[in-house]
Amino acid sequence: MGLTDLMSMAKPNLESREKILRKLRGRELINCFQCIKCTSGCTALKLLELKPHEIEKLVNFGFVDELAASDIIWTCVTCLKCVQRCPQKASPYHVIVALRNLAVEREANVPEAFMKAVSQILETGLAEAYQKVTTRKMEACDRESLKLPKIPAPKEGFQAVFLKALEER
Amino acid sequence: MRVKVAVFWGCCILASQYAYEMSVREVLPKLGVELVDLREALCCGDPVRSVNDFAANYLSARVLALANLTGLPDLLVPCNRCHFTISEAKRAVERDKKVREKIVGMLKEEGLEYNPNIKVWHVIDLLHDCVGLKSVGKAVVKPLNGLKLASHVGCQIIRYSDLGRVDDAENPRKMDELIRATGAESVDYNEKLDCCGSHLMLSHPDTALSLAGGKVKAVQGLCVDGLVVSCPDCGLMFDSKQKEAGTTVGAKLNLPVLYLTQLLGLALNIEQEKLGLQLNQSPVDQLLSKVSA
Ligand code: SF4
Ligand code: SF4
Repeated sequence: MGLTDLMSMAKPNLESREKILRKLRGRELINCFQCIKCTSGCTALKLLELKPHEIEKLVNFGFVDELAASDIIWTCVTCLKCVQRCPQKASPYHVIVALRNLAVEREANVPEAFMKAVSQILETGLAEAYQKVTTRKMEACDRESLKLPKIPAPKEGFQAVFLKALEER
Repeated sequence: MRVKVAVFWGCCILASQYAYEMSVREVLPKLGVELVDLREALCCGDPVRSVNDFAANYLSARVLALANLTGLPDLLVPCNRCHFTISEAKRAVERDKKVREKIVGMLKEEGLEYNPNIKVWHVIDLLHDCVGLKSVGKAVVKPLNGLKLASHVGCQIIRYSDLGRVDDAENPRKMDELIRATGAESVDYNEKLDCCGSHLMLSHPDTALSLAGGKVKAVQGLCVDGLVVSCPDCGLMFDSKQKEAGTTVGAKLNLPVLYLTQLLGLALNIEQEKLGLQLNQSPVDQLLSKVSA
């Protein structure tokens, strides 16, 4: 079912819309005049059918709850072409980030990898674990064998403060 | 000219894209840039941005606070994604008093101090604008004449312009000029601004790989000697994952991909091992034999 079909059965929720506007801190979503410049250059249009101008329109109409629950907001590649090219500074990418944050607050369909990255950061400071790699000749290497310096993990106090930061809305 | 800058690597470089780190550590000092590591390794906040915007800004601000500990006014961030995430956080902290007060307070709990005046550089503008093309050209001892290359500058260091980016959003030239400073040729091509797709590895890995594969396939069609990148995510997609990317687009890909700093290192006649060239997974040997010939 396409996004627009989905909306034909839904009711707008202006409170949720307000929430998104607050998250956007003055980015002028409301000025979108549906020129479709964003969608015409969107990296995720061809393969994943992301249409940023539709996202803008639907948020403006108040269909925020449906969007926050939908998979479509997780198809953005963050290429930022839409932000660059929008003549109205309506920043579709930033709208998508705000919707993702709302999806997390509501424990909706959040791809696991994002939450995993957060817990990895809590544990080690980095979102990824140090990896062993191989040369083209299949010799195994790591930071030590490549003589790269060891950079320490964050000091102890970091974890508690980062947890606090994650509770902010 | 000699400058001293702090350097923040992010996650991807420190955890797997060792060739980029090795070549930056080798090449920049030879061009007059001394690097000072931060006290700690930390994520810039990029994957956190999708989860909680505030927490992402906090992480980036903490990076700047760590940079502040070095006492240096300049911070080199060689990863495009980190460069963007930190720039966005700087903007949020500057423009939003509430965010600023909260973040400054949280950093204080750890005895850290936010410094809004730290300037964030990428390898490209540091070399192009600060070191200068002339000095780079002068340092070349082994001109790479005869090499024909394509550049991939990536997305997040050129967009969006309002944020203050490293180069023009629609017609970036600095990376090409740096490539030309080595004596090599840098060609223009239709797909130049196409994205590597790396962010989608978190939610749609197959699509991410086909975006990368599509671009490599197009560049391969240009009959160039290689593709030059300057971001660990792009390196990961075009080099480390080139084979996998090929299967998603039904093409046999064999395009040499290397980091800009590896290319510069070759022109400075630095040993290949020191530049991490043994780590590239794409067939760079064909390019290297042309260079040493
Ligand atoms: S978001 Fe901007 S570019 Fe996209 S349709 Fe609206 S005004 Fe046009
Ligand atoms: S940032 Fe996302 S929505 Fe905007 S053009 Fe790129 S992929 Fe499309």
